[in-house]
This record gives sequence, C-alpha cells and structure tokens, in this order.
Amino acid sequence: MRGIGAQEAKGFWADAWDRVRRRPGAMLGMAWIAVMGFFAVFAPLIANAHPIRLERLGAEGQVLSVEWPLLAYLSPTDWLLMIATAFGVPWVFFGAGRLGRSGRIGVLIGLTMQAGATIVLAALLIWAAEGSGIESLERLTRLESGPWPLVLASAIIAAVVAIAVPIAAPLARRIGPILGAAALGFVLSWLAGGQSLVNHEQVILDEAAGKVRATWTLIPWSSQYTRSDMVGIPPGTRVADWEKTASFKGTPFGERRVLLGTDAIGGDVLGQMLWACRLSISIGLVSTGISVVLGVTIGALMGFFGGWVDLLLYRVVEIFMSVPTLFVLIVAAGVLPRNTYVMMAIIGFFSWTGAARFTRAEFLKLRKMDFVQAAQAAGLPVRAVLFRHMLPNGITPVLVDASFAIAAAITIEATLSFLGLGPDGQASWGKLLSSATAATGTFVWWLAVFPGLAIFLSVLSYNMLGEAMRDAIDPKLRKAAH
Amino acid sequence: MAAHDTIATTASQPVEPLMSVEDLAVSFDNGSGPRIQAVAGVSMSVYPRQTLAVVGESGCGKSVTAMSSMQLIPRPPGRFDSGRIMFEGRNLLELPEREMLKVRGGKIAMIFQEPMTSLNPVYTIGDQIMEAVLLHQAVSPDEAARIAIKAMADVGIRDPEGRMRAYPHQFSGGMRQRVMIAMALACRPSLLLADEPTTALDVTIQKQILELLRGLQQSTGMGMMLITHNLGVVAENADVVCCMYAGRVVEYAPVTELFDRPLHPYTRGLFRCIPGLSELRNRLVTVEEVVTDPREYQGLRSEAGPVVPWWPFMDQSQRPSLDDPSRPYALVEVSPNRWVGCWRTPEVARHPSRPPRIAPA
Amino acid sequence: MATYLLRRLLLMIPTVLGITLMVFLLVALAPGGIGAGLAVQGGQMSDTSKVAQMQAYLEDRYGLNDNVFVQYARWLGRVSPLKFGTTPLVAPTGDLVREPRDLPEPVMTWAFPAPAAFVVQYTVPSGDALIEDFKRLQREAEGTRRTYVGSVRGMKDALADHVRALGAPWTARLEPKGGADPERFRDLSLDGDAPTLVKLRSAAAAMHASWTEAEASRQRATIAFLARPYPAAGFEIIPNAFSLGAPDFGVAFSRNRPVWDLIATALPVTILINFIAFPIIYLVAVPTGVLASVRRGGAFDVISGLMFLLLYSVPVVLTGVFAIGFLANNQYLGWFPVSGLHDSAAATMTFMPYTDVAGTWHRGWLLDMVWHLALPVLCLVYAGFAVLSKQTRAAMLENFSSDYVRTARAKGVPSRDVIISHVLRNSLLPLITMFVGIFPAMLGGSVVVERIFTIPGMGSLVIEAINLRDRELILANTFMISSVSLLALLLADILYALCDPRVAYD
Ligand SMILES: Nc1ncnc2c1ncn2[C@@H]1O[C@H](COP(=O)(O)OP(=O)(O)OP(=O)(O)O)[C@@H](O)[C@H]1O
Ligand SMILES: [Mg+2]
Repeated sequence: MRGIGAQEAKGFWADAWDRVRRRPGAMLGMAWIAVMGFFAVFAPLIANAHPIRLERLGAEGQVLSVEWPLLAYLSPTDWLLMIATAFGVPWVFFGAGRLGRSGRIGVLIGLTMQAGATIVLAALLIWAAEGSGIESLERLTRLESGPWPLVLASAIIAAVVAIAVPIAAPLARRIGPILGAAALGFVLSWLAGGQSLVNHEQVILDEAAGKVRATWTLIPWSSQYTRSDMVGIPPGTRVADWEKTASFKGTPFGERRVLLGTDAIGGDVLGQMLWACRLSISIGLVSTGISVVLGVTIGALMGFFGGWVDLLLYRVVEIFMSVPTLFVLIVAAGVLPRNTYVMMAIIGFFSWTGAARFTRAEFLKLRKMDFVQAAQAAGLPVRAVLFRHMLPNGITPVLVDASFAIAAAITIEATLSFLGLGPDGQASWGKLLSSATAATGTFVWWLAVFPGLAIFLSVLSYNMLGEAMRDAIDPKLRKAAH
Repeated sequence: MAAHDTIATTASQPVEPLMSVEDLAVSFDNGSGPRIQAVAGVSMSVYPRQTLAVVGESGCGKSVTAMSSMQLIPRPPGRFDSGRIMFEGRNLLELPEREMLKVRGGKIAMIFQEPMTSLNPVYTIGDQIMEAVLLHQAVSPDEAARIAIKAMADVGIRDPEGRMRAYPHQFSGGMRQRVMIAMALACRPSLLLADEPTTALDVTIQKQILELLRGLQQSTGMGMMLITHNLGVVAENADVVCCMYAGRVVEYAPVTELFDRPLHPYTRGLFRCIPGLSELRNRLVTVEEVVTDPREYQGLRSEAGPVVPWWPFMDQSQRPSLDDPSRPYALVEVSPNRWVGCWRTPEVARHPSRPPRIAPA
Repeated sequence: MATYLLRRLLLMIPTVLGITLMVFLLVALAPGGIGAGLAVQGGQMSDTSKVAQMQAYLEDRYGLNDNVFVQYARWLGRVSPLKFGTTPLVAPTGDLVREPRDLPEPVMTWAFPAPAAFVVQYTVPSGDALIEDFKRLQREAEGTRRTYVGSVRGMKDALADHVRALGAPWTARLEPKGGADPERFRDLSLDGDAPTLVKLRSAAAAMHASWTEAEASRQRATIAFLARPYPAAGFEIIPNAFSLGAPDFGVAFSRNRPVWDLIATALPVTILINFIAFPIIYLVAVPTGVLASVRRGGAFDVISGLMFLLLYSVPVVLTGVFAIGFLANNQYLGWFPVSGLHDSAAATMTFMPYTDVAGTWHRGWLLDMVWHLALPVLCLVYAGFAVLSKQTRAAMLENFSSDYVRTARAKGVPSRDVIISHVLRNSLLPLITMFVGIFPAMLGGSVVVERIFTIPGMGSLVIEAINLRDRELILANTFMISSVSLLALLLADILYALCDPRVAYD
C-alpha cells in the first residue's frame, strides 16, 4: 500500500554491509583478521633468522663485502604476497580513477590469484621436468634456489595479460601499478639473485667474534630455526640469562630476548606464531574456497536439473553428511602426504555438503520462480540461466556461511596439527599447542596460552563476522529480531 | 453463565454497545526508519445481535483493529498510541493479562484469516477445540469432548467423533476454517471477531457458515465484527458497515443507506468497481479514477456546515485549510447515523460529533 | 512403520559402502600405502633380504598385490553377513579358518616354464585324528607357502640384480625403488653365463621347487579342510556356496589380534562418552535457548548468546590442553586425573562409594569413572551448547510469530502454557533434526578428546591404526563409526516421525 511505512530501498549488499558494520563484535573480528593477514604476508620480513644485511668485516673492521641473506631467502610466493599487499591494499583504499572500490578489490584479487596460479603452474612444470616427487611442490613456499625470478616475472606478465584482456578501457591506469610492481620485483630479485644462504650458527658466532656486522629483522628468529641449547626457555628471558647459553653474554645474540619463550625443541614461539598466521589464513581461505566452489557447483546441478541427477548426487551428500567428517579427515590426513596443499584439498573436499545443500534448496526454489522461467522461455542457453540468473540469487546463504566455514577450517587445521597430522616443516599453532603437554608430562604454560589464544581469537573473529553477516542477511532472522 | 447474563441485560437496554472502539491508534516499530502507523484513530462499535462489517483495502488496518481488542498485537514492536476499547465497562487495552485470559476465547472469540496455518500442526483437532473449552468452562474432559463434537457438528463437519482424532494436515483449507469457527464458537462468546472467515471457502459452504453464524447471533445474542473484502457478503449479512482506508475510518453507516448512497469518494469508488448486473458498462471504473476526481469532493454538508472528505493523497492545492495541521482528520456525523471521514477544518473542530454508534432497530 | 524401518536400514547400506570404499581407496592409493606400515615392522630386522621376504609374505597374506577394487571386494565379502563361496570353519579357539587360498602363479614363465599342474591324492583320517591332521597340514601349507612367496620375491630380486648389471637402457625399466616387474622384461634375452644370470637361473629353480612343494601341501590342506575338521561358521544355506555369518574384520597386523576384539573394547567407551555428553548438551542448551527467545533482546539473551559464541570458538584441542595443564596436572591444581578411564586400582574398587571402619572414604568404581570422565565430557559438550541453543532460540522465535500460536493466545491460553505446549512443542522438531548435524560431529570430536586424555576408545585406536597404516583396523574403525553414526541418525528419524504427525511412514 502507498501511505504507510514506505521506505527508500537500499542496495541489498550495501544494506547488509551497513548492518554488519554496526556490530562491534564483527568490526573487532575484522580488525583481528587484518592483523593476522598482515603477519601472514610480512612474517618473513618480521621474524627471520636470516639477517637483512650482512657486512663481512676485515681484521681492522673495514667492510669487505655486503650480503642480503633475507632477500635471497624469500620465495616467489613471499614476494607475490608482499608486493600485492604493499601496493594493492593502499590502491584499493585510496586509489582514484574510474573504478569503484569494489572494482579495485576485484582487480587486486584477480591479479593476485592469477599470479599465484602462474607460480603454481610454473612449479608444476618444474616438478614435471625434474620428477622428484612432492618435495619440489613444496618449493613453492620455500624455494631456496632455482629459477624463481623467472617464475615471478612470468606470473606478473600473466597477471597483466589476464587483467588487460577482459576489460580494455581503464587499462592505462592499471598498468602503472602493475609495471611498478613488476619493476620492483625484478630489482629485488636481481639484488638477491644467486646468493647462497648463510649458516645462522656461523653468523651468530662470527658476530660474537666481530667478524661480521648483521642487521637483523624485528624478531630475529624464524620458524625453522631451533637450537638444542635453548629448549624450554620461559617468555621474556634474555638469551644470556639462560644457563645453557650464558656463554653468549655480551654478544648481540646474548642480548636478545625470547619474548614468548621457546618450545620443546628450542624454536622461538613468537617467530613460529607469526609464521603460522600464514598457514591458518591460507588453509582457511583456500579450503573454504574449494568447498564453496565444489558445493555450489554440485548444489546447482542438483537444484537445477532435479530428477535422477538430484537423486544420485544427494546420496553422495548424505554419505558425507552422516559420517563423522573429522574422523574421515583424520584418516585422510594420516595416510596422505603431510603437505599444506594436500591438507587444503582434503579439508575442502570433505566440507562441501553444507554449501551444496544451501545452493540446491535455493535453486529448487528459484527454478520455479517467474524470472528464471521467463529467461528459459526467452531461449537463453542453460548455462546463461544458471550463472547469470540463478547463481547470484542462490549463492547468498553460502557466502554468509563461508565465514563459519573458514573458522571451522582453522579449527580443523589446528586439530590435525595438534594430532601430529599437520603439514611437515611448517610452523603451526596446533603443533605448538601439542608440545605444551608433550611426552615429559610437564605442562609448559606458554606453549598452551599463546598459540591457544591465537587460535581462539582467529576462530572467534570469523565466527563473529559470520554471525553478523547471517543476522544482516537472513530475512527470517531479521524478522525474528524485531 | 456470566456471559449470557450480560448479554441479556444489555440486550434489554439497547442503548449500550457491546464493544466500542474509540479513537484507537496503533503503530509498529520498523527497526530502522519511522514507525508504521497501522491504525491512526479508528472508532466503531458493535451491539449485541448486530453484525458490523469492516471493509477496506488490504493493509488498511482491519486485522490490527480486531487484534488490538484481544491484546494480540505483539508489543514490541507494536504499541497502542491512544484510544480505548470498551467492553463490559472496561478498557480492553488496559486490562491486565490475567483478566485478559478470561476475555480471550471466553467472551470474545476470534477467527483468523489464515486457516492453513492457524491450527497447531502437532495436536489433533479435538485437542485444540477441547483446550479452549477446558480453559473457559468448568467441565470434565469427557464433557469437553462432547461440547467439541457438538461444535464441530454445528459448523457442518461430517463424522465429528472420528475427525476429533485427525490432525490439521489431514483437513482441507475450508475444513480447517470450519474447525477454527467451531473452536471460536465452542465457548459461546458474546462477541465474535471474524477476520475474513469465509475467504477460503467455496460459495455454498460460505453461505452455510454465514447462515450458521447468523443463527447463533439470533439465539445467543452474539455481536459480530465481520472483516471481509466481499461486498456481497456485506450486503447480505451486515447491519452496519465501517469502511477503512490507511488506518482511518472513511465512512460508517447502516448497510442499506451506504449501499444506496455512499458519501465518501473512496466508498463510491469501491461500489462503482462492482460490475453491476443491471447496468451495462463498457468498462470497469477503478477506485483510483473516482478518488482522484476533484468533483467527487464537492457538495458534502453536515450540521457544522460544508465539509471536505478526507483523502491522504488529495492535491495540496485542493485541501481545505485545517484547524490543526498535526490532526488533519476527523470522523464527522454528516447526517443522523451517517459518519464520513473529513478534513478537520475549523468548523468541524468546533462541532465535535459523537462517536459512531448505530444501535440495532 | 516396519517397512519404513526396513527401507531406512537398506538405504544405510550404500552409505556405509560408499564411505568405506572412499577410505579404502585413500589408504590403498596413498603414497607409501600400506607398505609404509609394513616397512616400519620390517625395519626391525637387520637383513634386507629378510625384510623383503617378510614384506612379500605380508603382501601375499593381505592380498596387497591385487587391484584395489578386488581387494575391496574381498574385504566386503568378509564383512558382509551374506557369504558366498566355501563356508569358513570355526576353530575351538574361536578363530575363523578359511579354505587355503590358491597360490600366486610363478613368474617369468616365458623363460622358465612352470612345472606341470598336478593333483595330489590324499585320504584324510576320521574323528579326532582329522583335527590333528588338519592342524598339521595347515601349518605345513602355511610354511611352504611362505617359502614359495619368498622365493618369488627372490626371483624378482635376482632379475633386478641382473638388469642392474646390464646397465643403461634396461635399468630405466626398473621401478623407482629398484624392484623389477618381470612383465616389463619379456624381451630380455636370458642366454649367456653372466654371474647374475646364473643366480637368476638358480632362483628360478628354487622357485619351481618351492612351488611344487607348496602346491602339494595346499591341496592336502584343502582336502582336509573340505572334510570339515571343525563346525561351519554362521548359518549354512547352500553348503560351501552360500551362508550367513557375522562380519569378519580380519586381523590387525599392528597388534596381531582380531580387529573385532580391539573394537569390542574400544567402541563401548566411545559410545559411553557420547551418551553422557548428549543429555548434558540438550539439558543446558534447550532451556537456555527457550529463555533467550522468551526474553528476546534482553540481557539474558545477549549474554548467553555471546558466551556460547565464545565457547563455540574454543577448539576442543585447546580446552583439552588447558584442562590437562591447569586442572589435571600436578604443577597447577591437579584436581582431576590426567588420563585414562579408570584408576589403576579400579578393579578392586566397590561399585558405590563407601566409608570404611577407619573412617576413610573410598570413592568406588562409579565415582572413579565419573572423576576420570569429567574433563573429557566437558571438552565434548561445550561446543554443542552454542549450536543447539541458537537453533532452539531461532525455532522458538519462528514459532512465536506463527499463526497457530496466535490462535492459542486468542483462545485464552496462559502465556506459560503457550510457550511450553505450543511453541516449544513445535520447536522440538528442528531440535531433533539438529541431532543429525551434531552427532557425527561429536563422534569426530570424541576421537580428538580420547586422544588428548588417552582414553582407550575408538579415537585412540584409529590414530594408532593410522600411524601404523594398519588397513584392517582403519577400515573396521571407519565401518563401525559410520554405522554407529547412521544408526543414531536413524533413531533421530524415528523420533522425528513419532513427534511430527505430518510425517507419513511410507
Ligand atoms: N506485527 C507487525 N509488525 C509490523 N507491521 C505490522 C504488523 N502487523 C501489521 N502491520 C502493519 O499494519 C498495517 C495494517 O495491517 P493489517 O493486517 O491490519 O491489514 P488488513 O487490513 O487486515 O489487510 P488484509 O485485508 O490484507 O488482511 C499493514 O501496513 C502492516 O504492514
Ligand atoms: Mg487482515
């Protein structure tokens, strides 16, 4: 009716976003996720046992040579993430031009994904060429030597091409930052190119002896660096104050503080925790991405075609639903290689049923609605009907639930790592947590409290965000909230 | 029974209405934005044995008015802004919950407009009717079952004993509506609020049910507020008609007079929409056409002088000057027993008319 | 109702098959596969050729060389209650005895023709002598088979040695780990008298000799088996063709014990923990959800919602570690036991607590268990609170605004009765459905909890099985966990059908 309570309509997503923004919990959650994301990207620059700059000194203290061990240590993935964040994020928030903010986010994500995909592709090629098994895949994250400047360059070129092809108009404006990023990548990789890695122990000893001068990162421990004489140091202790390393008194190494203590094999807890942000965030995002894509596709097929397709696929959904997922995940993680990519894949593969059911229900509903039938009657091909007309409508509940799915994936990663089934050679909160009550039977509180808090806050953040989004979007709950 | 006594006394002195709604205003919280004013100053009254028909377009506040008198408006988001609803000398809007429980179902019963969803799916029909009986009459469960069976038989449900044990989903929409009516009538209320009671029924059943209700009115003296969109039903069953628009009463009159000579342009528009059998028209007239025609607003007089029928979408230029811009509307008795919603011009404000009451002859 | 139940039970079969097939493929196709577990075992032996022989024996025993689907079908055949083929017998020890299997074919028959097939004539004694005779033949068949399988392996090793001696183009056909698949060397000429060739020939001779011996004892053992030294297992319908019998999960090679024995002790523990946890979840979450919905938007609603969301965000492993560290470990509070289901002295305890003559209080078996289970159950329940109370609240709110609740209020039903007998009664249905979502998750969660608190349930068992790559154990665990989960879901379905009159059984 005309008179009563008529209100100006706002865009669906804009309205939802406004509602989310009004929730302090959701905003705090996003802040924490941003902090985690920052550390995930910049952990190699913040916490690293490789000095940034290493000056070899002669007998009289004159500088013989200068090395950049940290730069040599960074992998293509590190570079990609850092460049994308350092240039892309400011561009998204402050960049001018014809593109709106959401357009810029789209461009950034598309660019990064494209570059990432190229890196994976290149690594796969190397793998195929060398045929030395799964280990070479792991070089994606820790490629210590190899043709990675090439990989980076090809990634960036591919990104430029991918971005340029679909929309040609505001090309010039986007080419600037991209070329900038590429140039920087080349300069940096040229700087670092061909240098061999340093031996940390040796550097520390040389530093004590005055043979080198090193500029360290903010937290001069990396996730991989362990010392058998530094096992179980409580938080805040100075290295020189620890009985077994008292010999370092007076050296730069001896003056360092172990801010959050060390673990059962003598690794720094804070360094590992920062590096673990990367594992958590990437597993959360990628495995949820896999499950959403799988689930939406299968759900759309079921909902759109109905009939025997639905019947058959729904049996599969039922199998996945009625079986304890965590149990199957434990089995899968146990027998498959302990590897980040495998873990992402299995978590994604065993958690798509939720998305599939949502999409199916939505599609079943939408299939009967007028606009879809109208589109079909107009002679559009099935693909167009599915993706242009139905998908945008059907996908909303799935996206809302994705936040919870990310939280669940982070929990699963922590759990599997806790059980010793996590990726090998990677720092993980769950792994740290499991060493809190390790074999000896003593309980090391800082190994439980700090990683535990990190897991809890991350899971909570995503849950809070999910709650807020669900309340903002679910019309049924919205009605009930009145 | 107490209810019968009151009816008997009020019936012998037919000056007092059974229930009278006076200047009721109800609004709803909309979450964000301004409150929705669902009802903005409605007055009407029902006498024993009388049928008051409430008509008006969808969303004009008919159901809200009826539900207010049972305090069934969820508060919040709802709120009673002003007015009162008098019943047996008490204001129903202010009755405490404990007193209200006795009124609901016992003295005033209501039939809701959604028969498909208004019955609880997990209880049998018998249980649901008996629940009402047991709440309001001091009888044994066996006796209650007997009353329930009789009520079901009264509304024309065949095999009532057997149907007692059936669940709502085993009934068709029309059958469910009849169950709702049986449930409402099982306690012999003195006032029945029937919110589109026959919308879900086919024409023959509709006729039966309305005849049944009329019979009950004659035998028990029950008053009825009949909310409907069907003007045919109004013509056949109502004594008094209250026509609403946008939360206000636009016309209030005995049924024959209203049908003979509607005064408000909106009411006129409403009647002209009905394709008459006697007249042959080339095309149907819409309400819109009538209410936007400035000529329709001229020439209406009352004791206070000339008045202009109220219409919220009237052009600013054609509106008369008002006594108080914050209260633009008044229900004016333009001639004996004829009320029309008018702009509250200074003359109208000086001659306050009495609240609409049309006692049965 | 009966047909409904039957149909539901039948529908469970493909589900269980699907999940076990998935796990079977995972275990079988995973890099390293089952062999990884075998290698761990074999690694204890120093002699590498002995390791290889041992591996060959185990591979033969568990049929690991066959196609995975064949392996799966064999596993299914043993687990299925409908059994086709020769009926197994039950030895007095309770072990199942199956018909001796056919021997694998000798390899490289194109170069070293296999000995001719033969049929052994053997008359079995009767009565008790048969049992003794069968036992002897069984041992003999087992021993000769083992020798034969080992000699086949020796043959392959000799071939690999020869190929390596030949060098360049040929070595490319070797397998990555250095083994030789004879089929890939059909075109290899074996003439000459290189030392490796001499060895290969003698290996072939050894293989043929041991085949003849193994085949003879296999045939004798088969004849004795068919004479039925022991009673048949299960219920025989067509003799030696079709019978009914209990599922046979095989022998766990990591512990060399029947899998069923291990599960029979572990499963009740897991079920016990879950069945303690469930009522607690419902008892806490449902009233909270109801109250929150009644006081919607009020302090209780907001605080309980926030509390439960916080709890929901705490992973089980975190609670477990904190509970063990701060509540159970003697470094801190030490209030609860750190691990296990019972005190070591539990066997001598009385069931109920009592105070003896000296006035000392004994907690007894029951309290001891409660004391041990307190922390594990705590870890298992809290996450469910949030899920269930939120569902309850949402269902209640939806029903609050429903038309039939308005009808009830219009009848004059007091609001407490409206809440309980109308709103809550209708909200029960989604709560039962919720069970479907929670129960599998809880079973999975209890795996972790059992691991943290070293409780000897299915969780501990499966993690041990995974670490040792014990296929039989992993599969049986999966089978049982899925079946328990499915049965619980069936129970929920039945409950739903009982609560909702709209559900028709057929
Ligand atoms: N619970 C509620 N919350 C918010 N707004 C409400 C609520 N109930 C009614 N309204 C509003 O009050 C106005 C009047 O509604 P009402 O149900 O009385 O209409 P009606 O005249 O009965 O219409 P119909 O003929 O379609 O039944 C509508 O605009 C509606 O949006
Ligand atoms: Mg209505």
